[in-house]
Amino acid sequence: MNRATYPGGVHPPENKWTAESEIETIPVSPRFVVPLSQSLGAPSRPVVSEGETVRKGQMIGRPDGFISAAVHAPTSGTVAGLERIIDSATGRQTDAVAIESDGLDAWAEGLGEPREWQNLDADAIREAVAAAGVVGMGGATFPTHVKLNPPKGKDVDTILINGAECEPYLTCDYRVMLDRAQDIVTGLRLCMMATGAERGCICIEDNKPAAIACLQEAAGARDGCSVRVFETKYPQGAEKQLILACLGREVPTGGLPADVGALVQNVQTARAIADAVTRNVPLIERVLTVSGDAAGAPGNFRVRIGTPIAVLLEKAEVQDGFEELILGGPMMGKDQFTTDLYVTKGTSGVLAMRRAAIYDGGPCIRCGACVRYCPSQVNPSRLSILGESFLDGNLDAIDAAIDAGLMDCILCGACAYVCPSRRRIVHLIEMMRGERRKALQRRREKQEARKAELKREVEKVGD
Amino acid sequence: MATDAPQHRPQPAEAGLVVGHWPHLRGKETIARIMWSVAAALVPAAVAAGYFFGIRAYLHIGLAVATAVITEAIITRLRLGKMTVGDGSAVVSGLLVGFCLPAQARWFVPIVASVVAIAIAKHCFGGLGYNIWNPALVGRAFVHISFPTDMNPSAWPVLTGDHFIGDVGTAVGGLPEGVDAVSGASPLAAVKDIAATHGYTLADVLKLLTFREGPGLWDMFVGTVGGCIGETSALLLVLGAIYLIYKGWVRWQIPLAYLATVALGALFLPLYLTGGEGGTGPTGWQPIITCMPDAALRFVLWHLLGGGLVLGAFYMATDMVTTPITSRGTLIFGAGCGVLTILIRLYGGYPEAVCYSILLMNTTVPLIDRWTQPRIFGHKR
Repeated sequence: MNRATYPGGVHPPENKWTAESEIETIPVSPRFVVPLSQSLGAPSRPVVSEGETVRKGQMIGRPDGFISAAVHAPTSGTVAGLERIIDSATGRQTDAVAIESDGLDAWAEGLGEPREWQNLDADAIREAVAAAGVVGMGGATFPTHVKLNPPKGKDVDTILINGAECEPYLTCDYRVMLDRAQDIVTGLRLCMMATGAERGCICIEDNKPAAIACLQEAAGARDGCSVRVFETKYPQGAEKQLILACLGREVPTGGLPADVGALVQNVQTARAIADAVTRNVPLIERVLTVSGDAAGAPGNFRVRIGTPIAVLLEKAEVQDGFEELILGGPMMGKDQFTTDLYVTKGTSGVLAMRRAAIYDGGPCIRCGACVRYCPSQVNPSRLSILGESFLDGNLDAIDAAIDAGLMDCILCGACAYVCPSRRRIVHLIEMMRGERRKALQRRREKQEARKAELKREVEKVGD
Repeated sequence: MATDAPQHRPQPAEAGLVVGHWPHLRGKETIARIMWSVAAALVPAAVAAGYFFGIRAYLHIGLAVATAVITEAIITRLRLGKMTVGDGSAVVSGLLVGFCLPAQARWFVPIVASVVAIAIAKHCFGGLGYNIWNPALVGRAFVHISFPTDMNPSAWPVLTGDHFIGDVGTAVGGLPEGVDAVSGASPLAAVKDIAATHGYTLADVLKLLTFREGPGLWDMFVGTVGGCIGETSALLLVLGAIYLIYKGWVRWQIPLAYLATVALGALFLPLYLTGGEGGTGPTGWQPIITCMPDAALRFVLWHLLGGGLVLGAFYMATDMVTTPITSRGTLIFGAGCGVLTILIRLYGGYPEAVCYSILLMNTTVPLIDRWTQPRIFGHKR
């Protein structure tokens, strides 16, 4: 079979133990805590208050700003109040709406009913997607309605639906592809209608032949839609790498996929788009994988947003004493320091590991493995050494790192995975990016202060 | 500096959870695994050395390895407060030091070479990962200059008959009797010696030797020729190297570029510079391929199998720390080693060119790395 691929990438053990487990629906929990910040960009503003009754699908958080997404009640019940919880993506505190379920699970008015969609125009589709609070469900959580509205002058000609699922352990996208193939194709067609793209391509790694067959059948009769098979490797599902492998186009540095006429959506996002537009269902549930070597009964679960992670750990029979809790995949997911967490739109996996992988950071022996496997063709060894140099007090190291591709790194971690010296390569790269952000912020503040000062001076002179 | 930080596990947070940065999976490769595999790949050649050169070979390898390990242990203890002998890098350096000494060298030569290799070449520059030059070769170069008479390559066999047991005593006492350190030279040195003493042109000697008196190619391939302890058996060295290349721990670009460049140089470079030896030879560009086409293949193989080239190309020039990190860089590095080696061999004063060509090219590594950085994804070509 002709498999699309790109240079670089690694082959970690797949450990997709739950690939043959059917999706199991988790019963509606008695209490939900729905974070208001579930997308990249500004958190949504709460529009409900304590004691208020809400219906399933009712908006509880209004988008605040251009890059922001709405948040909806996962079930019907009473708002128990605003809470401060830990955001699993950042580890920082964030606002959340707590809802006590009334057990009725009753839809808000007008939701969950089919809608005529074949003749909708682009704006109507984007509006429906925005109203449903759809965000990128692969983990990046970028608001989808913004993505479906590419900047002026950048025509999107191809939509890629990302079903690569290259993260080990995770199988939720695979199960969704088997169960909801038709909806995924519908989501793809809606994306094409919203952007005017002529071609749609569903991208699947060759370790998922059943999903390939399923989607080939579903996409078969549609104009411009096709399924493309990719080499199984990590990070095959990385946005820019997927575009290169599929279309042979390279997104320029600092650019967007739209710069090369492409747009990538995760399969579950496509499913959510289809639900939002054709059935008027907001994004209040997702499928995720609960796995890891500490899970006695790993599986794929359909859960409402805001469900406590503890419920999932119990469901998967995770015994106490596990050392590491990862939200997301094992390669790019985030370690958690508490189990008091709640499912968000971007939670693709919950992994409980008996032993944490430790990166204790020896010296670089220049074996060159990181350079060979880097999907972005940066020199991770050099970046990590510059990071250490920065920590040693060499403040110019960050400028050198930018020249060496600091901002082009996609943080996939392939370099650290292959490093025989267990160097904290990604950690050091992220540290430098953070420091750069802080430096830019400081510079901005300084400039603004200076401007204000000048203004005052001018006014004084004017008096 | 991160390297000097004591090893630690991140502190468990609430609920006994360990928090680290992604990725949360780790590949299987470790420095120890790589280094011990390189050491294992060198074992066949080390074992065979005893057969070729007698028990003195084992004595030298043993002394070199033991000294390297002890030196490493003491210095890492002092520098880092922990011992990193377990990573195997000192054992590899010690083995390589032992390999590039002649068997008849006096007993303290391997000790001096190993101390210089580990203490000066490796740890004075920052230890594993930071040294500029290949430690084993620096150690070898040091004793080559300090004890020139000890460093003439051994004849094969060192002592006939009872060479397995008979020479233990002489190993401690000095040069073994019955071995002429000068005439028992390695094949390459022999050619130059004969040319010089008999006033022949290099080409005549080559013709003579390659067809009559020189060591046979088969002997050179198997290792039954004079030379340093571990460098003579191309067969065993290449077998070990094939394993390392298959595992990805030796980058094939370096030996390929190195050997190819030496072969091309041997074929197409003039045998002597204008005027020939003593002004009697033919003038102009006279490579072996035009002046003795029938001997060309043999001459090339002779260069490839002779001296320390196989050991150097597969084990010394491929040392990760002292070679370029990029794939294109390794090709340039290998070719550079090849050019220097063949130039020194054809026109230089020393018979053994491999050691110095690799050390010289080690010096150029930062520059090569800078030139050959890959084009970053999304940047202009």
